[in-house]
Amino acid sequence: MRHVIGALLEQESTVTVVDMEAGLEHLSRGTGRHVDTLIVTLEPYYKSLETARRCAELGREIGIPRIVAVANKTRDDEDRAAIQEFAARHGLTLIGEIPMDDRLRKADLAGRAPIDEIDSPAIEAIRSLVVSLNQPA
Amino acid sequence: MKIAIAGKGGTGKTTIVGTLARVFARQGRQVLAIDADSNPNLALTLGLSREQTAALVPLPRTLLEERTDAAGAKTVVLRLSPDEIAQQFGVSTPDGVRMILMGKVDHAGAG
Repeated sequence: MRHVIGALLEQESTVTVVDMEAGLEHLSRGTGRHVDTLIVTLEPYYKSLETARRCAELGREIGIPRIVAVANKTRDDEDRAAIQEFAARHGLTLIGEIPMDDRLRKADLAGRAPIDEIDSPAIEAIRSLVVSLNQPA
Repeated sequence: MKIAIAGKGGTGKTTIVGTLARVFARQGRQVLAIDADSNPNLALTLGLSREQTAALVPLPRTLLEERTDAAGAKTVVLRLSPDEIAQQFGVSTPDGVRMILMGKVDHAGAG
């Protein structure tokens, strides 16, 4: 599988995104060199934070040049603080925070894609991510 | 830009990466999205309907071929070029993001 991912990453699209498992099984030192940015997602609970931390570490081992973290589904200041504190303690660079947004759940149930939701704080936060990602590493 | 997103299952990475892909595409960039998760859900986030998503063809198991050269060394070779893979198995989604569903790819002839 790594060979296929590696080959696809060599493709000439301007942006390639890969949705994958936390264990980064589809990447190796070989294919990993084609990935320039790893985004790890952090939810405000321990298992998610730990998984993200390990994932970032794996990313470093593989040699991915830019590793960033995004806080997701935060509900209140306590959630935000917990994630920021964890990120700081483990050297994770937080580039954005996506709040819990019930609109996404409702859109999902109605068969609508998230991007078409109007006035969604979560979607607005994702759009801001694009700005951060477009900055040179 | 080549972005990989990873995290514990259920953390919302598919929603994030799928929406990111569409925002990039709406900015006029050419985007390739690869769903390499064992629970593939990217298609819906990219705007495909449930019916279209159900009809998606994952990359076939036989895409890889193990070859042994004259010296006895084994290499793994792709039967199709990346361009051909994107053409044949990539699906166009509403914002123009091309999507590939990984599925399970293993060595052909391995039984």
